[in-house]
Amino acid sequence: MSVPRPLRTVALIARREFLSRVRGRAFVISTVVILVVLVGYALFVGSLGAGSSGGRAVAVAPETAALVPALQAVAADQGRTVTVVPVPDDAQGRQRLAAGDVDAALSGSPARPRVDVDQSLSDDLQAILTPATARAAQEQALTARGVDPAVLTTAAAGSAPVVVAARPEDPAQGLRIGLGAVGAFLLFFSIQTYGAMVAQGVVEEKSSRVVELVLATVRPWQLLLGKVLGLGAVGLLQLVILGAVGLAVAGSAGLLVAGVGLVGTLISVLVWYLLGFAMYATIYAALGSLVSRQEDTQSVLTPVSIVVLIGWVVGFNLVLSAPRSPALTVLSLIPPWSPLTMPARVALGGVPVWQVALAFVLTLAFTAGVLLLGGRIYARSVLRTGARVSLRSALRD
Amino acid sequence: MVDGSVLEIDGVSKRYGDVRALVDMGFSVRPGELFGFVGANGAGKTTTMRIVLGVLAADSGEVRLDGRPVDAERRRRIGYMPEERGLYPRMAVGEQLRYLAELHGLSAGDARRSTERWTERLGVAGRLGDEVQKLSLGNQQRVQLAAALVHEPDVLVLDEPFSGLDPVAVDVMSEVLRERCAAGAPAVFSSHQLDLVERLCDRVGIVRDGALVAEGTVDGLRAGAGTDVVVDAPQARPGWADAVPGVVTSRTEGERTVVTLEPGADDQPLLHAALATGPVHGFSRRRTTLTELFRHTVADHPEAAPESPEEAA
Repeated sequence: MSVPRPLRTVALIARREFLSRVRGRAFVISTVVILVVLVGYALFVGSLGAGSSGGRAVAVAPETAALVPALQAVAADQGRTVTVVPVPDDAQGRQRLAAGDVDAALSGSPARPRVDVDQSLSDDLQAILTPATARAAQEQALTARGVDPAVLTTAAAGSAPVVVAARPEDPAQGLRIGLGAVGAFLLFFSIQTYGAMVAQGVVEEKSSRVVELVLATVRPWQLLLGKVLGLGAVGLLQLVILGAVGLAVAGSAGLLVAGVGLVGTLISVLVWYLLGFAMYATIYAALGSLVSRQEDTQSVLTPVSIVVLIGWVVGFNLVLSAPRSPALTVLSLIPPWSPLTMPARVALGGVPVWQVALAFVLTLAFTAGVLLLGGRIYARSVLRTGARVSLRSALRD
Repeated sequence: MVDGSVLEIDGVSKRYGDVRALVDMGFSVRPGELFGFVGANGAGKTTTMRIVLGVLAADSGEVRLDGRPVDAERRRRIGYMPEERGLYPRMAVGEQLRYLAELHGLSAGDARRSTERWTERLGVAGRLGDEVQKLSLGNQQRVQLAAALVHEPDVLVLDEPFSGLDPVAVDVMSEVLRERCAAGAPAVFSSHQLDLVERLCDRVGIVRDGALVAEGTVDGLRAGAGTDVVVDAPQARPGWADAVPGVVTSRTEGERTVVTLEPGADDQPLLHAALATGPVHGFSRRRTTLTELFRHTVADHPEAAPESPEEAA
């Protein structure tokens, strides 16, 4: 025999875990659900962008027509378009508004126009109207004092602040943040889902008592290792499927920009997944071995689930809102949270190599400790059925 | 293949906290021998078997097979049926048995053939593709037995193999046990069905409070325990036999008196004493059953073994 016995046993156990999950309906369903969620997320983000750049239409009464040049100049400055619909009087303007043809109807003095709206003035229209009326008022005042308003326009045309960025923003920053967020989500999802499955499997073996039959020929560490490897492989397969589909969709939508480091991100997500999964799956397996009934599984896993959730929620929000904050840096260096946050930072780019290395080494050391302790707890409590085994008694003697 | 396999349990002790589960437990099972393991609940039968399988670690003592300590490699040759039955509920019967056979070191091909053979033999061949949880309890028991046998073990350790079996399955089980022993395998099984143990076993061990208190063939134990004589003397007063030489105990069963004589004691003085009370309608020696032997052995020590929580687990 070429493969040593103990490893062949581990492989047999891993194969059973892998096949029984991959052939199950839950795997297919969860893969499809995540794909839908991710595509939905992309579409949602896309639609937000599309909505903000849409044009507006305003009805303008004859007495307010003097406002139109200022209105269009301000809109052009802001990169927006405003369609002006001239109406014979303010009543007809309100009719066009009621019919839904326009977003607002302007009437009265150009410097202090009345703005009829359906419910409220939209932010972007307000952002155009306010400076436009101010400009109309200034022009009126200048004209009254015999000054040509064109002087003002010429003076304003040349003015602009000159911005010098200390750390110029990456043009692909948005895409990187998106990648980081998606990576963090996938890691969180895989670790939670497949980690919980390890615990469920442990409890199932305990509650069905089959564990005694298996442990009559297999050492506890082999059973634990086989389980973690088998389910870890299921999670990995799902990640690879999602990653491949994601890349294909992004590629066909023309979202792929050269130099964003997609491949690097993918590799870092996979490596951190393996490490994070080994760590959390062992913790979950050890905790699962403390209880004998499926109903008790959740209560024993909750404290760790909360740690994972905190890491993910805080990390995810920091990635979106403050990708360069010290808080995110600290979070990504603390072992239980490194696997959830470091891949997102790597996707964002600009992470010093020493930080990645430090997080990796710390997580590796932490995982080794978890394996040692978790394996011990598992071996001691997996055969103790009945009441929940306390952590202390599982570790004692 | 199994020639010369001897299973030895030597001086095994185990404590659970303050409870002494096993105290210097020891016996050996020779090749082709069927050893019956009897005792009250909590006496230490399950703990002993779990230690043999390495599922539990002994505090001291040793389990040997072929004169060598049982290690992972030797343990693969043992067929085990735990007291708490258990199989993967959502795994198909055939897949499950093949998996267990492969875990015990069989090749994929051997595992498949052995699964077919045993499910055929135990009458569950038609259910190979069904999940275990969809089977009736009786059929689950048959699959459980197949799980203990599917890797063609050289040694059998079966904890309460007859509990929950219907009479047909009991016959199949007995037949399989005899057959494995005829092939030279040592086999240990525990049971509360003492008539079955008496009928099947070559030797019996009685456990109490974690130690073996009697061991031998049923006949041998019987010889050591004395003889029961049933006397039908309707006019005899209670206690009439107590002063007769050689009498250990006497008790009344309806109109009859059951008198236990010392091993090897002459029964004629008892007959004379009986005739002295009036007419005697019956006077017969009765073979002591294992149930009675067991009761005597346990009754010697009134502090009945408390059921330890670990044993129940």
